Amino acid sequence: MPAIEVKNLTKKFGMFTAVNDVSFDVEQGQIFGFLGANGAGKSTTIRMLCGLLAPTSGQAKVAGFDVLRQTEQVKRSIGYMSQKFSLYNDLTVEENLNFFGGVYGLSKSKLEERKTYALGMSHLTEERSRLTGTLSAGFKQRLALSCSIIHEPKVVFLDEPTGGVDPVMRKSFWELINTLSDEGTTILVTTHYLDEAEFCNEIIMIDSGKLIARGSPNELKTEYIKTPILEVECSDASAAMTQLSNEKWALEMSLFGTALHIQVNNTESAKKELQRVLGEHGISISRIDSIMPSLEDVFIHLIEKKAA
Amino acid sequence: MWKEFKQIRRDARTLAVLFIVPTLLMLFVGLAVNFDVTHIKLAILDDDRSNQSREFIRSFINSDYFDYSFAIHSQKQANELLDDGKVAAAIIIPPKFSDHIVKGEAADVQVIVDGSNSSTASSVVGYTTGAISSYSSNLRTQALQKMGKELYIPVDFRPRAWYNPDLSTIKFQIPGLIGYMLILTCVVATTMSIVREKERGTMEQLVVSRITPFELIVGKLLPFLIIALMLTCILLTISYFVFGVAIKGSIVYLLSTIFLYLICALSLGLWVSTISNSQQVAFQIATLVSTLPSNILSGFIFPIRSMPVPVQVATYMTPARFFIHAIRAIMLKGVGIAAFWDDWLAMTIFASFMIWVSIRRLKKQKL
Amino acid sequence: MKTIIFIVIKEFNQLKRDPRLRATILIAPILQLLLMGYAATTDVNNISLGVCDLDKSVTSREFVRSFVSSGYFTIERDINEYKNIDRYIDNGSLQVALVIPPKFGEDVAAGKSAPVQMLVDGSDGYTAGIALGYAGQIAGAYNQQIFQRTVDRSGVKPNFGSVNSDIRVWYNPELKSKNFMIPGIVAMLLLLITGMLTAMAIVKEREVGTLEQLIVTPIKSWQLIIGKLVPFVIIGIFDVILVLTVGRFWFNVPMRGNVLFLFFCGGIFLLSSLGIGLFVSTVSHSQQQAAMTMQFFIFIPFLYLSGFTFPIDNMPRWVQYITYAIPLRYFLEIVRGIFLKGDGFLNLWREILAMFSIGVVLLVLSTLRFHKKLE
Repeated sequence: MPAIEVKNLTKKFGMFTAVNDVSFDVEQGQIFGFLGANGAGKSTTIRMLCGLLAPTSGQAKVAGFDVLRQTEQVKRSIGYMSQKFSLYNDLTVEENLNFFGGVYGLSKSKLEERKTYALGMSHLTEERSRLTGTLSAGFKQRLALSCSIIHEPKVVFLDEPTGGVDPVMRKSFWELINTLSDEGTTILVTTHYLDEAEFCNEIIMIDSGKLIARGSPNELKTEYIKTPILEVECSDASAAMTQLSNEKWALEMSLFGTALHIQVNNTESAKKELQRVLGEHGISISRIDSIMPSLEDVFIHLIEKKAA
Repeated sequence: MWKEFKQIRRDARTLAVLFIVPTLLMLFVGLAVNFDVTHIKLAILDDDRSNQSREFIRSFINSDYFDYSFAIHSQKQANELLDDGKVAAAIIIPPKFSDHIVKGEAADVQVIVDGSNSSTASSVVGYTTGAISSYSSNLRTQALQKMGKELYIPVDFRPRAWYNPDLSTIKFQIPGLIGYMLILTCVVATTMSIVREKERGTMEQLVVSRITPFELIVGKLLPFLIIALMLTCILLTISYFVFGVAIKGSIVYLLSTIFLYLICALSLGLWVSTISNSQQVAFQIATLVSTLPSNILSGFIFPIRSMPVPVQVATYMTPARFFIHAIRAIMLKGVGIAAFWDDWLAMTIFASFMIWVSIRRLKKQKL
Repeated sequence: MKTIIFIVIKEFNQLKRDPRLRATILIAPILQLLLMGYAATTDVNNISLGVCDLDKSVTSREFVRSFVSSGYFTIERDINEYKNIDRYIDNGSLQVALVIPPKFGEDVAAGKSAPVQMLVDGSDGYTAGIALGYAGQIAGAYNQQIFQRTVDRSGVKPNFGSVNSDIRVWYNPELKSKNFMIPGIVAMLLLLITGMLTAMAIVKEREVGTLEQLIVTPIKSWQLIIGKLVPFVIIGIFDVILVLTVGRFWFNVPMRGNVLFLFFCGGIFLLSSLGIGLFVSTVSHSQQQAAMTMQFFIFIPFLYLSGFTFPIDNMPRWVQYITYAIPLRYFLEIVRGIFLKGDGFLNLWREILAMFSIGVVLLVLSTLRFHKKLE
């Protein structure tokens, strides 16, 4: 039985449809990624799955419980970490853990055991008496995660868990998530950091409330981008892009920092054309590489395809 | 500063509250507040039951001040009514009442007053004794007339009230009410908005943008100043049209006084915001510091001269005190600046001090 | 049940960390006590009197003395010229001016009527009214005196009866305002702490985002409500005890009734104040809003319409009807009744019933609303 089952889930706020007929399943122990821009409907979907929001139509089951009719049981089986790391800043680390543990009905001995685990996992064993408000974002994040799993839930929802955290901490956070998944916890993560999505087992992409893509990172990359991508570094990328916009062989272009990503049919001929066109306009090229498409490429491709 | 305006405008609810509520309140309170004591509920025990005693009772019934609510037959009834708070006073006419009067002696009538409401009790005492003594002097006049003489009044006492001849409560309450509304709105609103920024961290952004503390302060306070001025105009208009309170004196003086007072209020709000870290605390302190003194120490309701001397000294620290004094002078007396220049000076000193202290604190906090 | 305890523990942990909040919970009541006890007096005395005695005879001085010896008036100025009176009344340094005409002593001795003017600054109507009342009494008594002297001197024994009033003031014989005001503080304080602080605490969670986190947990909304309210009830009780103690032993406000009965009635009042606080928390999105809503929509109307300072009996009929819906009105009567009159249940059952009904309605409505809002 899948850990999360979603069928035709829709949420309307008056005239505005935030989530539009979304369906997907998540198997136990998977790390499931929810990708999309801000305001695409990710948070709304998660909140419906947590029992925070009632869907306008459709069905959803979490850990085997219906979110609408068995909300109590759902709440007992899940953990939730919000974007704001909803922790009590004026409580100490230990007090936060005690509170959430108590609220989930953990017995005294169980609470002690879980606390030790949580403190170890967040590297906060020495800092248990520290005021949460004084922690840096990275530690807060880990603490928030440990509070959300203190009762060993089967399913964990993480809403943009890595906001405002430095890349090193982000990476170790994802290692943590992997450990959890190995232990059998199902994890659903929303993020708009496309590079992080690579760590998920399966991903769905959402845009304006609609599901636009679904699959494992590799599947997505190979399925949606059938042609190679060239990465070009030159002296003036935006000018280059303007110049190449009329070229038929440049299928799709986007700026990636200072580099240009161009989707082409044939790498060799494209490279030659590239050098010719840019050379004519005085733009010097420092590097042309053929690269593996990243999820970002996929996402942009899908958005633009929709817009077309 | 424009940002503040925009923020306020977007928060339409706060705007509505800032305007509509003080207005409504003023209307409400203006109609409800009244120190004049009338319709005093009486219980009368007539143990004499003579023509004389009935005439005596009639003098109370005919008066507007009293409501003859209960005719009782025992002291016990009187006790009950007083304990339950159903009457404000009980009058007990002794058995030999008319006998004494006919014989030319003095008759003692007992008046028991419920003193638990001290603000009305003294009026009740005053009115009942007044009613009884005028009945008494009527007796004397009648007796003298029978003897062919007239009552001689040595001192022809002529009291006159200047400036508010009817002593209408509302006329002298309005300045106080306006003062209270203004200071509450200003202090609380400015404090909260500043602390909210502190809590949200946007304060740091402002500090980074290299605004001087002075510009920061002006930028934050100016929108509230303008709103408060608008509010004042509304309140004044209402007090004129609804309550008939006209401004005898110069409007320029009035507006200047209000302006000064607002600066005081805003500077107070500013200072509170520099000593609070959270909104909850900010609000507590803001309320404490603005409403309690303005209500109690300003002379708005309670006469300052009746307070113990140390407390009277404390009233000098309340801007509302000076405001009320000046406003009453301008609105009700229509006098010139000689009457209230000291109030203006006091308010200026207060505001300057507050702003100076706040700037010092802001500077310290910045570093 | 255990969940509630955890919530309460959390609240207290949070509260104990905010030292300034702690200070205001302690300082506010004490400050109110001081102000109410010392400053909030409706007694009028020390009225500033200016004397313009154009006669300066023994008689006129005797007359002036009768004003001073009453204890209500204090002579601030001797005015030499009538036209100077303007200035002093204008700038407020004199509230009352007594003008005695040049031939005062002569006229009185000759058995003629002498006109004495008294000018009162009406811009402070309250003091003015009372000053006029006192002055009337003093002048009347002086007249009596002179009249009696004249009668005695003429040897005629007039035969007329008179009525004397024998005044007894019950419950507060010296009519001390503080006895009236301080019990009122108990009521206001309870409203402030259990109403407003509760509202702000709940809204703070919404603002910070932890409310959402709480909803995701198995906590039921009634558990949350109780858990949030209990700490403030405890604090409220503490503050009430504080006020009672200071009021009784420092200010000597008599406590004639039963203290436990007072707490019982306070508990019933809590239904209303908690209901109000809860309700306010459901209509506010930010702490600032909650605060302003509480102040403007609850406190100020309550302050004026509950009989706290201004007697309800004086208000227009339609306003009086409105006051019936205000729980504080009943609680004030109850508190004052218990303090000053030693009232018990039999005297106050009507008020208790009214308070109870209002409180239950408020609490139920706001709980329903709160529950709905959580979804």
